[in-house]
Amino acid sequence: MTATLHPGAGTALEFPAIRAALPQRYPLLLVDRVLDLRPGARIETVKLVSATDPCYAGVPEQPGGPAAYRYPASLLIESFGQSAALLWLHGTGTGAGTDDAVLLFVAAREYEVHGHAYPGDTVRHVVELERVIADTAFATGGSWVGDRCIATVGSLTAARRPRAALDPAAVPPPG
Amino acid sequence: MSHTERFEELREIIAEVLEIEPEELTDTGDFADEYQADSLRGIEILARIDKHYKVEIPQSELPELRNLKATYEAVARHAGWQD
Repeated sequence: MTATLHPGAGTALEFPAIRAALPQRYPLLLVDRVLDLRPGARIETVKLVSATDPCYAGVPEQPGGPAAYRYPASLLIESFGQSAALLWLHGTGTGAGTDDAVLLFVAAREYEVHGHAYPGDTVRHVVELERVIADTAFATGGSWVGDRCIATVGSLTAARRPRAALDPAAVPPPG
Repeated sequence: MSHTERFEELREIIAEVLEIEPEELTDTGDFADEYQADSLRGIEILARIDKHYKVEIPQSELPELRNLKATYEAVARHAGWQD
């Protein structure tokens, strides 16, 4: 798996199409652009890291080192996961408009951090969909800044479940 | 690979998904009852073994994958192992 783009081979998506496919909204919609999408197989996405991202609101005046303004791994994983969801769901007629299902981040295994992203960086995610079964998707891939691989993902699991199955109001209180 | 080797390899694979040590996973211990495995874990086990053994166990057989022994039998069936 490489980080290079294969121009013209797949679909590119801009902001409106991304919003149509994903339920997340500002400030938790963490995919800015789809560079290349092969439905059900592979996707390359972009997440720009900016000083205006909400995660930088609390950086102290004396940060004491670059660690204080690394883009958080938790958001990188989420951004990668949303890229995987886009790959899984684009074109399947599911999206923010359908209210009957909830998209869930289930797990990430063997997630390895190799580097970091900072304000001004463009993070590029490359995601391959390995398997979808029982409304649960398994993806693998990595995240790059330029030609620096900053993270590799052994396995990420996402699921879609009916909202009614998860609604706490649907579960009777104990006793 | 012998039956025993394959069985132990499967034990390791499933133990990893259940986040326990292989020696904690018994042959007939129910994944849900004894190892707090919910439906998502069950699906993850199926996806893992499909990937590792290059088989495709259908979703309809998920309920059968209750414990290590039953899961081994399902994989053996789909992989064509002559045990």
